Parts: sequence; structure tokens; C-alpha cells
Amino acid sequence: MSMLVQFVITGLAIGMIYSLIALGFVVVWKSSGVANLSLGQLVLLSSWFTYSMLVQAGLPFYLGIPLVVIFAIILGWIIERIILRPLIAQPILSLITVTLGLAYFIEGIVVIIWPLSQAYLPRFFPTEPIHIGSAVVTQEYLWAAVISLVLFILLSLYFRYNRMGIAMRATADDQKAVQACGIPVTKIFSRSWMFACVLSAIGGILMSSIGGIRPGLVETGLLAFSVVILGGLDSFVGAMIAGPIIGLVETVGSGYLANFIKWPEIRTVIPFIIIVIVMCIKPYGLFGENRIERI
Amino acid sequence: MLKLNNIEVAYLNVIRVLHGVSLKVDDGSIVALLGANGAGKSTTLKAISGLLKTEDGEVTDGSIEWEGKRIDKKNAEEIGKSGIIQALEGRHVFGHLNAEENLLVGAFNRKDSNAIKQDLEMVYSYFPRLKDLRRNIAGYLSGGEQQMLVIGRAMMAKPKLMMLDEPSLGLAPLLVEEIYDIIKRFNTESKTSVLLVEQNVRVALSIAHYGYVMENGRIVLDGTAEFLKNNEDVKEFYMGLSTVGTKKSYREVKHYKRRKRWL
Ligand SMILES: Nc1ncnc2c1ncn2[C@@H]1O[C@H](COP(=O)(O)OP(=O)(O)O)[C@@H](O)[C@H]1O
Ligand SMILES: [Mg+2]
Repeated sequence: MSMLVQFVITGLAIGMIYSLIALGFVVVWKSSGVANLSLGQLVLLSSWFTYSMLVQAGLPFYLGIPLVVIFAIILGWIIERIILRPLIAQPILSLITVTLGLAYFIEGIVVIIWPLSQAYLPRFFPTEPIHIGSAVVTQEYLWAAVISLVLFILLSLYFRYNRMGIAMRATADDQKAVQACGIPVTKIFSRSWMFACVLSAIGGILMSSIGGIRPGLVETGLLAFSVVILGGLDSFVGAMIAGPIIGLVETVGSGYLANFIKWPEIRTVIPFIIIVIVMCIKPYGLFGENRIERI
Repeated sequence: MLKLNNIEVAYLNVIRVLHGVSLKVDDGSIVALLGANGAGKSTTLKAISGLLKTEDGEVTDGSIEWEGKRIDKKNAEEIGKSGIIQALEGRHVFGHLNAEENLLVGAFNRKDSNAIKQDLEMVYSYFPRLKDLRRNIAGYLSGGEQQMLVIGRAMMAKPKLMMLDEPSLGLAPLLVEEIYDIIKRFNTESKTSVLLVEQNVRVALSIAHYGYVMENGRIVLDGTAEFLKNNEDVKEFYMGLSTVGTKKSYREVKHYKRRKRWL
């Protein structure tokens, strides 16, 4: 029983990190309609960059982490400006394919620059386990969950009150009308990619500070993708709620069910089983935006 | 002052839509651009606002001058910042934003937050109903309220020239009059020029100073509102009145339309 509680708590917490990364997908999807299939690679790239800052360059956290965030912002700017902008007004399939190309490109770059198979980041959070009832949970997971939640709240406030945030939501509704207001939509696309990269980077830092940097980090992208499918491609709240669900299913699946089912791979399969089921029942996801239609 | 000199517009390099359109909008005036569906009115507005480029359209000949400078090669953002704002045809509100957020998007390019607050109040004083609905999601507002919102959003940009594309479309006559009164008031009180595209000729000429009639991508007639209101052809084809003042049946009008041209 205490095992189960432990899996539930870590699952929920790790799922919050998936939510965070998934939010980056939602932002880009909402503002420009592009499905970013390079999330996992962005996570991997920024994790390695963090490694360079904190371990190779030996910078303290208060310098290293802001540098990673700045790196992510620049990365987002470059991706939008150089890769996506020339394709504006091209068929949506080209835009999606180019993010897939980007994914492979990043993976290649990572292998060239960091030819290590795995590495560890310094510990950010206190590691003493916390006792919840009879269950023992590593503190790191709880910190990761708190950070994700705080970022989610900040992001929500940004989209509710900030001039740019409101304009980003407006672009999701009606790109043409936004242009008619004299607003440069390219600036909005650019901003959305910066968000995607920063969120992936923070997700990556959290993931790899807990589990180390491994090529398997790329799978986080797939998990984040299943989060947005479950929560609805265009819903922030959906991503926030679906993340813990996916995390829960994954962790409980791997840890708990594995005791009964002799098939360790079940862990990676479960999220996709969920996706298929959700797609059949609610194609727009649990919280997908209802199209407002007036006659 | 806005001046179009003989502009030609083509979509996708082949579909030629405007064939030498010239018109001008004096500072502070209301100019109506009239004509039937498909005449090229919206295309003219998009050529001015720069939105044409986002639809694969291009000004292939002629020039557009705004305050003495050519703007036909500029993009929508630059033109918007130079003081020309277009409200699109068909009530393009931001459906998932509330009414006030919709208005604030209109002020995106302005930095003067105090003046923006004042202008928000100004828009609410023109459209008191919007003030009551400020927290309501725009997608669920009625057609008339959405049209008010779109016009209010254009006002929030503090434009020097506001271009409205068929603001009366699909609205009840009383509401149309109310909205037109407000456009007129805004024009006099803020000295904003207005370029008004309409099929509803009667109501457009009720507030316009000058008007142009467009057919198949050409200006076929222009003159002061007074002149156009009394022009027999305008009365007959666009106001549905024959010389005696009785309403013509649709079939007759259609029959005439096919045969008669101004040029
Ligand atoms: N994006 C476009 N691509 C191709 N043709 C277009 C486009 N927009 C409008 N047209 C054509 O241009 C002509 C004029 O359209 P428009 O300017 O919308 O007329 P109006 O506003 O007077 O009804 C129409 O024949 C229309 O089919
Ligand atoms: Mg039109």
C-alpha cells in the first residue's frame, strides 16, 4: 500500500513536469497552429546546455540557470526566425514536417557537441526523503511539482493581463483580425517559440536534475505530446491536468503493475493506449476549446 | 490625406481585380465606397491597409499615398502604425476574449497607458452597452454588439484614418442607424477620417461627405453625397428606387444591371 502511495505521489509530481513541457506545445499551437514535434529534443538540448554551464563551466546556480533561460530564449528566436518564418502561408504539413526535421537536427547536434552517453547535474534540491504516512517520497519530486505549478500560474497571469499575452490569445482566435489591428503576428509567433523553448528548458532541468541526462530524455517529448492530446491541443488547463494523469499512469504502470505483469515495457506503452482511447471518445481532448459558433 | 492613383490589383499574379482605381480621402472627411458584391471594395481597403499581401494579392500598378508618402509597398504593421486601421468585413471579434480584452488588443501598438485608459472610457461612452458587457466573452455577443466591438477596437488604435468594411451587414435597421450615428459623432469629435465601404447606399450617404461607386474593379461614378443621393442611376440601382420613388422588383433590377454600365 505504501508503495502505491509512493508511486502515486511521484507520478503526479513528474506529470507536472510533463505539463510544463506540454504548455510549450500549447502556446505554439494556439498562436500559430504549428504542431511542434521537437519538444523532446529541445528538452535534451537544454539539459546538455545546463550541464555545460553548471558542470563543465562550473558556474553557480544563480548564474548558470539564468544563462540557460537566456539560451532557450535565443534558441526560440532562432527557430522561429530562421526555420518557421520562411514557411509562413505554406501548407501546414510542411510546417509540421520542418519541426520533425528540427528534432533530428538537434539530436545530431547534441551527439556532436556532447558525445557522452549520460551525465548528471548537481543536485538542486534537498534530497532527504519525506515521509507521508507510511510512504517515502524523494523531496525533489515535490519541488519539481511546486516549480511547475508556480510557472503555470505566472504563465496564466501573463496571458490574462499582459498586453502581449492578450494579443497572443487574440492571434489564436483570428490571425487576420490581429493583422488588421496593425499587430505584427511574426512577433507573436516568435514569442510563442521562446516560451516553448524556455518551458522545455526548465522541464529539462527538472527532469535531468532528478534522473540525470540520458538519450531517453527525448521520450519526454512523446509524453508531453500525449499530455496535450489528452488535455486538448489548445488548452492550458487541460495540459496542467492531463500531465499528472499521464505521469500517474506511467509511474504506477511501471512500478506497481510491473510486479504483477511480467512485461516491463508496459510503462512506455500505457500513455499511448490512453491517447488512442481519448481520441476515440473525445477527439478534442478533455479540455479542448469548444468552437464558438453563432448563427 | 489618402490618395489612390490608378491602382491595379491582382491576386496570385493572375486574377486581376482592380483596374485603375483612383480615389482620395481628405483629412477629417467621411468617404463612402459603394458598390455591389464582388465589385472590389474590400480589395481596395486591403490594398490600402497592406493586408492584401497576406492573401497573395499585390498592387501591380499605380500608387497609394498617405500623408504624402507612398505606402503601397509597406506591410500591414507599418501602415497600421502610420495611423490607418481597417475593420474587416464580417465582425471579426476575438471570440474567446472578453469584450474589454478585444478593445485592448486594438491599442496594442500604443505605449501611453493613461491615454489608453481614457480611450477605453471614450469607447464605452460611445457604446454604453459594451461597458455593461466588458467581462463577457465576445464570441457570445449578439451581432450588433460584435459590430460595436469591432468599431470600438478600431477606435482604440487612435487611427487617423479608420476604414470600415460593411458595418451594416446583417444588422437590424435601427441598430444600423445607431451605429452610423456613432461613426459620425466619432468623426466629428476626434477628427478621424473614415473610409466606409457599404452596399447599404442609403445609410452610407446619410453620413458621408463624398462617395465613389465601384463596379467590376473600376470607379464608375463619384461625387458629393448630395449629388449621389439625387443621381438617378444610384437611386435606381443601389437604393432600389425608380424615378417615381417606388420600390423595384429584384428581377427588374437584375435585368437592368446586366445591360447597363456607366462606362
Ligand atoms: N484572396 C482572393 N483571391 C482571389 N480572388 C479574390 C480574393 N479576394 C477577393 N477576390 C476576388 O476579387 C473580386 C472582388 O472581391 P472583393 O474585393 O471582396 O469585393 P467586394 O468587397 O466589393 O464584395 C471578387 O471577384 C473576388 O472573387
Ligand atoms: Mg467585401
